[in-house]
Amino acid sequence: MSILVVGLNHKSAPVEVREKLAFNASNISTALSLFLHRYQSAETVILSTCNRVEMYVSSLDGAVKTEDILSFFADFHKIALNEFSPYMYHYADDRAVNHLFFVTASLDSMVLGESQILSQVKEAYTMASMDEATGKVMNQLFQQALNVAKIIHTRTNIGKRKVSISSVAVEFAEKIFQEFTGKTVLVVGAGEMCELLLKHLYEEGARTIVVANRTFERAQEIANAFQGQAIKYELLGEYLAKADIIISSTSAPHYVIHTDQVKDAIRHRRGNPMFLIDIAVPRDIEPEIANIDNVYLYNIDDLQSVVSQNIDERTREVEKCRSIVEEEVEHFMARLEEMKIEPAITLLRNHFHAIGKEELARLKTKLKNIDTGDWEQVIYTVERTINKLLHHPAKVAKQEAKNGGGYRYVEIIRKLFGIFHHTDHS
Amino acid sequence: MIIFSHIPFIIAILLYFTSSVWSIGHIIKPVFFNKTVGKWSMMMGFLIHSGFLIFLGLESGNIPITNVYESFVLLIWCILFVYINLDYLYRLPLLDTFLVPIVTALSIWALTFDGGNLLITVSLQNFWLIAHIIPIFIGYAAFTISFSLSIMYLTQQRQLKLKLFGPLFTKLPSLAEIDRLMWKTISFGFPLLTLGLVFGTFWVKTQNILGEQWYLDYKVVLGLATWLIYAALLHMRLVSSFHGTKIACLTIAGFCLVLFTFIGTFFMGSKHAFQKMSTQIHEEF
Repeated sequence: MSILVVGLNHKSAPVEVREKLAFNASNISTALSLFLHRYQSAETVILSTCNRVEMYVSSLDGAVKTEDILSFFADFHKIALNEFSPYMYHYADDRAVNHLFFVTASLDSMVLGESQILSQVKEAYTMASMDEATGKVMNQLFQQALNVAKIIHTRTNIGKRKVSISSVAVEFAEKIFQEFTGKTVLVVGAGEMCELLLKHLYEEGARTIVVANRTFERAQEIANAFQGQAIKYELLGEYLAKADIIISSTSAPHYVIHTDQVKDAIRHRRGNPMFLIDIAVPRDIEPEIANIDNVYLYNIDDLQSVVSQNIDERTREVEKCRSIVEEEVEHFMARLEEMKIEPAITLLRNHFHAIGKEELARLKTKLKNIDTGDWEQVIYTVERTINKLLHHPAKVAKQEAKNGGGYRYVEIIRKLFGIFHHTDHS
Repeated sequence: MIIFSHIPFIIAILLYFTSSVWSIGHIIKPVFFNKTVGKWSMMMGFLIHSGFLIFLGLESGNIPITNVYESFVLLIWCILFVYINLDYLYRLPLLDTFLVPIVTALSIWALTFDGGNLLITVSLQNFWLIAHIIPIFIGYAAFTISFSLSIMYLTQQRQLKLKLFGPLFTKLPSLAEIDRLMWKTISFGFPLLTLGLVFGTFWVKTQNILGEQWYLDYKVVLGLATWLIYAALLHMRLVSSFHGTKIACLTIAGFCLVLFTFIGTFFMGSKHAFQKMSTQIHEEF
């Protein structure tokens, strides 16, 4: 029984290669069934996201090799092997398990610690299991991988701090206002970043949105997207006092919002805090505004520096995660060894019982006149003897398998009792 | 006897101190300083504290306010009592981190007031006394909590201004949340303070305990000033819907006045309560 992973990701391959090998929702089922048709004893899961394409395969005694998977990729996507094989990585057994745990816990992601990959892995696994492409090994492996990812996310800070400008800004806004229902967001300018931030705030519950822009049509466009209100740029001053959150990103070469205006606004607001986010370069909001009481002003650098601090924090957590993963891989490999020995023990049991039955049949012909009750006693004794004989070796074999000697024990059992043929048939 | 009567309270203080260390440590090293240790040592301290008050009450047959020490101990108990209920209702994170150190400091201060030789001069078996003191104490407790809330507010506000985003920033609740609870505690404490003052006025008028010019008594004047500060705060909130740092600063000022009214007047030789050494009383009798 072996576990293999063959694939490529954002680190190993450029997007031109990744897109050629990617699977989508419509062809993934076909791929799974084609692969299983080719290798009947195998189990497989295909994980295909925009940053990675990976195929996890488990097969009996390494029936499927790395080359087989590579050529499957080539055949399925109808591209030449040498076009993509230099970009591929492959891991076997414990390293493959390690890799999957790493990927699922988002330690291998472009944005370290992001949580999206967890649901992507879950989806890939569900897809494969619905297509009956998974068996005992893959089920255990993927369920454990999802489990490990959850453990890592709760026990470490890998996913705690925000690592995008807009999420950091929203986090700060939450530290001021707690929630955004009933809060007014004033957007000045109509940059892409502005829209992203607005989207984030909208998702968190901000519903009163006012947009001001030099070109009124563009303001209207954004306002419509968020059920907001577009205003004429000249009216900006009038709306300042109503705004709790102001996002500014105009391309104006001078300041757009001035100290006096904000001082005035805050007086009208009677100390209700104002949160100003200046994501324009050159800046839109006069920096002295930061000194006004109850006004919180952040520019792009402030947000960016928090983002990079948070990224550093996540990077620092990787070591902690790595040791958790290593521990879990060890557990999983031990369980896998245990699983390996189970079919061998079943075979052994069947083998013994078959011999028992054979001998009983022979005896039956000799003892023609035995009455039913006595004959049942004989059958019972024979079965009981066989079970008793097998009890101890099975127990020891399972125990030994946990320590990694599973394969050796399977071999020995087969050799000792001459049950090679049975294995091959199964 | 005096030393013995301190021991349970000292144990309670040690528990409050442990709780303070743990709740502050929890911010920096959350794994080592387990939150539950902080919570439970405070609770244990509170139980011992309660038991101690019952003991004092049973011993004298009165509510334990026969001297400065006892009433201070009772006030601190009220603070924790109000806090525990508030925490149960609103669960504001980190409030204990700000409040329990204050409680610890007040408790240590209370210890320095020698028990026994400064006595109250009016009969304790008096309806008016209870009606005057209990609402005021609970009101003071609420103001103490609003004081620690305003420190929380100013801390968080400062961090937002100076862009310091350490673990304290992440763990402290939002400004709006702190502000809301600050407002709740003040509007809970204010009616009680009013009630206590009204009862006090009735008492002083009906039984003439402070003499003719009762309104010139330091404690009466300061009590009125405290009442005015909180009335102004409420007015600003209710009528003008004021928020922000000014309110927080005013709340801090209000608390300082509370403390001064409660303890400070004693140093000024106020006629109002605890003004006489027990020896003096004996001489008079």
